[in-house]
Amino acid sequence: MSATSVSATSVPSGEQPAVVEPANTGPRAVDAEARRLGFRLTLPAQVLVLFIAVFPLLMQLYISLTDWSPLSGVQWWSAWSQWNGFANYTDLASDARFWSALKRTAIVMLVCVPAEFLLGLALATLFADEFPGKRLFYSILLMPMMVVPAVAGYMFFMLFQSGGPVNDVLTSLTGFPITLAWLSDPTLALLAVMAADIWQWTPLMFLILLAGLVGVPEDQIKAATLLGANAWQRFTTIVLPKMKVIIIIALAIRVIENFKIFDTLYIMTGGGPGVATETISVYIYKVTTQDLIWGYVAAIALAILILLSIAAVFGMKQMAPGKSGGKPGAKREGAA
Amino acid sequence: MSTIHLHGLVKKFGDFAALKTMDLDIADGEFMALLGPSGCGKTTTMNMIAGMTEPTGGRILFGARDMAGVPMGRRGVGFVFQNYAIFTHMTVRENLAYGPKMHRAPKREIDRRVQAIAGLLELTPLLDRKADRLSVNILQRVAIGRSAIMEPAIFLLDEPLSNVDAAFRAVMRTELKHLQRAFKQTMVYVTHDQLEAMTMADRIAVMDHGVLQQVGAPLEIYNDPANVFVARFIGAPGMNLLKGKPAASDRGLVVDLGPLGATPPLPTALAAAVSRSNGDVYYGLRPEQTMLLPQGPGIAMPVTFVERIGARTIVHLGGGEAAVKAVCANDVRWVTGEAAFVAPVEQSVRVFDAATGIAIKAE
Repeated sequence: MSATSVSATSVPSGEQPAVVEPANTGPRAVDAEARRLGFRLTLPAQVLVLFIAVFPLLMQLYISLTDWSPLSGVQWWSAWSQWNGFANYTDLASDARFWSALKRTAIVMLVCVPAEFLLGLALATLFADEFPGKRLFYSILLMPMMVVPAVAGYMFFMLFQSGGPVNDVLTSLTGFPITLAWLSDPTLALLAVMAADIWQWTPLMFLILLAGLVGVPEDQIKAATLLGANAWQRFTTIVLPKMKVIIIIALAIRVIENFKIFDTLYIMTGGGPGVATETISVYIYKVTTQDLIWGYVAAIALAILILLSIAAVFGMKQMAPGKSGGKPGAKREGAA
Repeated sequence: MSTIHLHGLVKKFGDFAALKTMDLDIADGEFMALLGPSGCGKTTTMNMIAGMTEPTGGRILFGARDMAGVPMGRRGVGFVFQNYAIFTHMTVRENLAYGPKMHRAPKREIDRRVQAIAGLLELTPLLDRKADRLSVNILQRVAIGRSAIMEPAIFLLDEPLSNVDAAFRAVMRTELKHLQRAFKQTMVYVTHDQLEAMTMADRIAVMDHGVLQQVGAPLEIYNDPANVFVARFIGAPGMNLLKGKPAASDRGLVVDLGPLGATPPLPTALAAAVSRSNGDVYYGLRPEQTMLLPQGPGIAMPVTFVERIGARTIVHLGGGEAAVKAVCANDVRWVTGEAAFVAPVEQSVRVFDAATGIAIKAE
């Protein structure tokens, strides 16, 4: 700004081209200077990012190439003394327990995330309209999300005891005495763990989807109605496409979070019975705290990070402009 | 095509009566404008015709068919929203095809109808454009086309030009009028802009505070306003209204304007009607038909402001209750502070009962 005005006024007023020239070089000069200043101003933040993101990542990569463990008697930076190249990664490729944990995590994700999405969407559709007691139900509905996961874990641990409330309710519903050993049967334990996750995270899905639903322009829905679209047609042709971006965001958040499912599950089953509910996070936790082979842990964690990153990139691609439902008002005004 | 009949239509929102009572018959193929200031009930009326809101009382008939309980998707009504409500996530083609598609028309028929309507509206080259990157006049055409493809008997337009800048509005007005001629549908057009109503409508229904004030052809409404509201609302600026008492004089019946003196005598036919009413009256004259003379006869008033708007110059005279505006040629020499004599064009004088506001008509 200052450079432009200085150069513009210092040029003799009679020379036309000379006035044009500074207008071209001026901003560029300012840009370079501004960029230097900007760099200096953001330096502390960049250093911070370096320490909290880049440094641990490099450290992880380094350790994953060694056999280092906290019990090996050397500090982590001297881990090169136990260098083993890519042995951890080749071990990982043939680690059946890792692959089965990964598969289990995928199953949990494939059940929980769609269930949370569909339940959340149904609730959001319900809450988009007015009904008596809406505020009260709204508050109640958001509560699971606010419960500390460890507490939720303990709660579900109690609920699913063989003499617990879940069996009691099932007994009174069916009329048969039901005494399922939820947490000690491999299949039932997995179901119980998924139920807890769905209970806790449907509200988040609901909240995000409600925000998206409220943002769908009412006039377009009315226009569709006037053109003869029924409720289902309006939902599939107007509401869902308009919510596409927000749906992708909601799914991405839950996919990433669900992949890391740990606290509630660990308190309920500890990954058991056996390895029946051992997800990838539980497996990593066990290898870290029980087997103490941190070099291997680093390799697993890095492999998972890469997997999640690929998923994230795929998700972002879906959100790219042009593929989106778009915002009605803003762009049109620009075109006008 | 269909006629529309509103019988004793009432709409209340809680205690507030948005529409007090409305009786209106719209002819087949007619372009009817509902005109009035914000909150006059015009949009409420249109929403009830479309079936978006249920009336509190009264009946709506399309032809002989009572519309009570008929959902909006089944009324055969085309609706153009104020912001056009184009489906921005679709292409122009998908927008146009939406209605037939929802009615499960065969694909070939949809294609044929889309082609036909796009040709008519000159949208053919734009068919595969995304609808969120179009200019307003194209959006308007898409909105009309999307409704027209369903061949609705009735077309409702809710202030479709209010988001458009002034210069463009003129273009769109002509375009809309042409389209209406092409489609020959019954059109109801809601607007607060009298210019739009005047230029496009066959008839105008002027509304205020939930009450229908007058229905008539544009010129009829301009020339013979039914009451004081219509007189003030129609015309830019609106009609000059001066309060006074009818009084006999040796030249005939005049209106005594108090401190301003008496008006020139009223035309005989009007005078006869006025003499039969009693009480105060409003003496009304159109600014366009108000001459300003340097000396009498006329009503002497001081020039208070000279407003030059280009094509015309509006001279403001007097103030408060006794204010008059005169539309003059753009090069008039009047300056503020001068005294002018207001001389009405005799045939253009209108008189209103001051108590009821209703026009006193010459017989």
